[in-house]
Amino acid sequence: MYGLGLAITLSTVSLVARADDPTSTQGPPAPASTAAPKPAAPVAPGAAPDIVPDPQVSDKSPTPNGTTAATAASAHPPPDSGRFEFGSYGRISIASDGRGGEGRPANVVSHGTRIDQDPYVELELRREDTWSDDIHTKVVATLAIFPPLFHYTGDLAATQIAVRNLYTQASYGDWTLWVGSRMYRGDDIYLLDWWPLDNLNTVGGGVGVKLPSDTTVAFHTGMVRLDNIYQYQQIQDVSPFGFGATNVTLLDRPRIVESLKITQFFRNNAHHHLLQSDNAGFKVILYGEAHELAAGVYQDPLTQLREPAPADSGFLVGGELAYWTGERNTFVQVFARHARGLAAYDPLQVPTTSANTKTTAGSTDSLIALGGNWEQGMFGALVGAYVRSFRDGDPSATSMNKFDEGTFVVRPQVFIGEHWGVAVEGSYQQRRYAYLDPTTNSALSASEWRGGVIPYFSPAGRGSYTRPQLRLIYAITDRNAGARELYAPDDVFAQRKVEHFIGLGAEWWFNSSSYP
Amino acid sequence: MRTPLLLACASAATLVLASPACVSVPAAGQVPVLATHVQDWRDEVIYQVLVDRFADGDVNNDDKIQPGFLGRYQGGDWKGIEDHLDYLQALGVTTLWISPVIVNVDTDAGIDGYHGYWATDLTKPNKHFGDLVALRSMVAAAHDVGMKVVLDIVCNHMGQVFFYDQNHNGQPDDYVLGSGQPGSPIGQLNEFDPDWNPAGVQGNSPNGPVGRAPILFIHDPTIDREPPQPGVLGTVAAYHGMGHILDYTDPAQVVYGDFAGGLKDLATERDDVRATLVDSYAKWVESVDFDGFRIDTIKHVEKSFWDVFTPAIRKRLGAQGKNDFFMFGEAFDGDDVLLGSYTSPGELDSVFYFSQHYQVYRDVFEYAYDRTQQKGTDQIQTLWAAKMKNYGTVAQPGGIGLPPYKALVNFIDNHDVSRFLFQSGDTAALKNALTLLYTEDGIPDLYYGTEQNFNGGNDPANREVLWNSGFDTTNDTFTHIAKLARIRKTYPALRRGDTTVRWASPHIGTEEDAGIFAFERSGGDAGTTAYAMIVLNTNAFKMSDTADGTTVLVSSLPPNTTLVDVLDPKLTTYTTDASAQLRIGNIKAQTGLILIPQSQVKN
Repeated sequence: MYGLGLAITLSTVSLVARADDPTSTQGPPAPASTAAPKPAAPVAPGAAPDIVPDPQVSDKSPTPNGTTAATAASAHPPPDSGRFEFGSYGRISIASDGRGGEGRPANVVSHGTRIDQDPYVELELRREDTWSDDIHTKVVATLAIFPPLFHYTGDLAATQIAVRNLYTQASYGDWTLWVGSRMYRGDDIYLLDWWPLDNLNTVGGGVGVKLPSDTTVAFHTGMVRLDNIYQYQQIQDVSPFGFGATNVTLLDRPRIVESLKITQFFRNNAHHHLLQSDNAGFKVILYGEAHELAAGVYQDPLTQLREPAPADSGFLVGGELAYWTGERNTFVQVFARHARGLAAYDPLQVPTTSANTKTTAGSTDSLIALGGNWEQGMFGALVGAYVRSFRDGDPSATSMNKFDEGTFVVRPQVFIGEHWGVAVEGSYQQRRYAYLDPTTNSALSASEWRGGVIPYFSPAGRGSYTRPQLRLIYAITDRNAGARELYAPDDVFAQRKVEHFIGLGAEWWFNSSSYP
Repeated sequence: MRTPLLLACASAATLVLASPACVSVPAAGQVPVLATHVQDWRDEVIYQVLVDRFADGDVNNDDKIQPGFLGRYQGGDWKGIEDHLDYLQALGVTTLWISPVIVNVDTDAGIDGYHGYWATDLTKPNKHFGDLVALRSMVAAAHDVGMKVVLDIVCNHMGQVFFYDQNHNGQPDDYVLGSGQPGSPIGQLNEFDPDWNPAGVQGNSPNGPVGRAPILFIHDPTIDREPPQPGVLGTVAAYHGMGHILDYTDPAQVVYGDFAGGLKDLATERDDVRATLVDSYAKWVESVDFDGFRIDTIKHVEKSFWDVFTPAIRKRLGAQGKNDFFMFGEAFDGDDVLLGSYTSPGELDSVFYFSQHYQVYRDVFEYAYDRTQQKGTDQIQTLWAAKMKNYGTVAQPGGIGLPPYKALVNFIDNHDVSRFLFQSGDTAALKNALTLLYTEDGIPDLYYGTEQNFNGGNDPANREVLWNSGFDTTNDTFTHIAKLARIRKTYPALRRGDTTVRWASPHIGTEEDAGIFAFERSGGDAGTTAYAMIVLNTNAFKMSDTADGTTVLVSSLPPNTTLVDVLDPKLTTYTTDASAQLRIGNIKAQTGLILIPQSQVKN
């Protein structure tokens, strides 16, 4: 009876489901902006992951007296050097479809272009303290705001807020520890608003270390227990005392996730002179995850019968290769990832289809992705691309959750002076389902071409990653018949071949732990 | 537009270890090339499958199933059937008759449309059973192993898709009227399923007549309760709108009334409705390559409909290479004359032999445990003797090439009646009835679960979940059926031979021949030398003989012919005497013999 539980889940966790939800049964793949309100991140491939100590302090020695700084500091109030910080990521846009309606995201793939994304904002409040030369801490709290916005709907309660970070991190020499609820992830592809290799949202903790060989190692373990009958169920039982009923937790099986990430940097240092520029470098990342879900029992809401929820597991392996020039954010990065079983599904996602064993056995998710940025003089260009193969464990040959997809997005731009610019964007995306298209009697293939132009004002100066940025946006999308078939007949997206998106937008980021 | 991603996919497959090939629809899921898969429908053994109850091959379409509650979906699907074709082959099945495949009203009044007879969209598959690819794949897999597939269709009615707005308030109402006091009789206003009214369902007003009640279609996509598709079926004009049948003896009500449960009666006399039904169901054959139609509730459709529907189907499919397309109808009625009327020239190839169900399988075999109810085997003889009078004797033009009286679909029980074992649980009687089913003239039709000794009462108790049996192939009934199928396949006389009753008796008590029935299958289309004699003792309490005093069964065989009982593991032999008489004594209660001339016995 997964189906039932999963159906319930869709309504309860949809706000936090990932954009790459390969099991969405709600029509076409939800555009990343609505189903996966993930912020964009300015890519800094040369930076060390946040889990490892800041290079500026990582070579410090333990305290001379042999006591740990944490022990020493625990007896004292926060040092005067501590400070509160405020950071934020945000994007706001509003658009017309040119026909009197609202402009809507039109992607057919999990991670299409973000040109027509919905709003999303993070507000981060952070306390940072330095307890000794070796010991530093920060406490991070990040609130995320999801549309619709009050000024758009007039509905005070419609806007939703989530706590996306709530953790404490401490560094001690070359070691770093953190515990809490955290967005835990690596490099993204800006144009796709996507972290192709690692993007975990769990409650847990981690440890990282920076080795002298310019290697970082980070391990994390966390738990996710969705409020869904897939993982959690409370039922009413006869109260042991007095009258009435009491709630009993019948099913409680958090998914446990472990991740390990090893990053090797290659850049000039006192011992090696590998590259022409001291600012340039490249890195190789090896990454893996393990996912486990215990067996349990739940009560079928329809029949009231007890049903087994079998144990499940999965793993993920992947890697990244990145090169950066160190000049004006110019870089290129390549990702590859393969997941099996439970790991093919994001921890915030409930598999809506399964093998007949009611597990994710047989599910796979494989991808290759490319991201990059180039800037030279008054020109710049961002690229993002990927190909991906997802297969669910459904024993049937055809399923809307067996698909191949991919996209290519390029956004060249001209910087006009220091504060103005015009970007144009072209993209193609396609998702092909192992599902019979009755009109063509072949696999259902949804695809679209999109073009756009974005004149903008950049108060902080020129650069693809310079923010804030205030924009005009126009995008036109040419959608094939397969893309239209993904929508219910009465949806205009099922009827219109060409979509327009004419709007205003702004994007900013500053001083955020999530975007170093 | 496929090229960019296909190239990318190829690249990805090269670069990513363990990456599967690009997605595609398997060949078995493509549009089939129509073909004729049958030589002679009498060679077939039909197995009636209620798809929701046979096997659950894919848990992902188990939406809202409620295991154990037989009025609800249970989870069976087309993939489950495909996965268990070996089970059916072991049973000797050669043709599947599957329950309707089209979209149904999901649920109504607490009962689900798992059976398939509550159609709302004739153009799309019922998602509870899989998608079109799964259906095509199942049928293709069946064809690959020599099995044919017959589709169950309904022309008489659609599901509970509209209500009669008798009080003109725009919503469906169901409430009690009146107080029961003098002048205020208690009544019920049920706008979903009002009673028959020859003037059409009327509006309701305390002030007097208001004329016909408006018909309003229901829009509830959550349960697929939507205006029917395609085309005219979604309009009021396509329905009679006269309320549900109260009197099944009134021909007008039978033909124009809504069917039990408020199933809305189609105006099948309209040319546009007829054309829509022909086109809709022909498309399913063209799309999936079915081999025949079992047609529901034929007696509730005016007879002239069949003069149009069946020739149109034959003509359209024949033009595409689909010949010998078998169309047999179901009239839930014991009236042999009525049943036969639907096999008039130009109409159906055959019908469900319901009269035999009552007069033979129920009265003679099922009631064997009760001498107050059991009838003598002379009732079989009488019924069979009327075949050529009541049923068509000429093959339908463009039909299956057999006269209807030779192609009747024989059955012991089905999804509309209680199972054979419901009352007595007498498996010996069941096995004896099965012996007749597999040896008599016509086409045997086995209701799923019979082989597992299911014993449910009337609907829905007779619609048990087969997979709960573990698909056991070792129980006595299963092995008996499998053996009968092998014997039937081995000896053409049992499939194509003419029938001559050699012994029938009115006796059901202690008489020497009480319960004995014997008939020959010989000659005819099986060849001049083909021969089989079947002897059954239907008496549950005593051994009987093929004789009654000095009167002894006389065969058509030459004197001194040795016959082998191929149903008997010991292959016991019997020999006709010099007068071609065959006296077999002490035939055990509720057993049968299938006698083949020794010279014709095959290993």
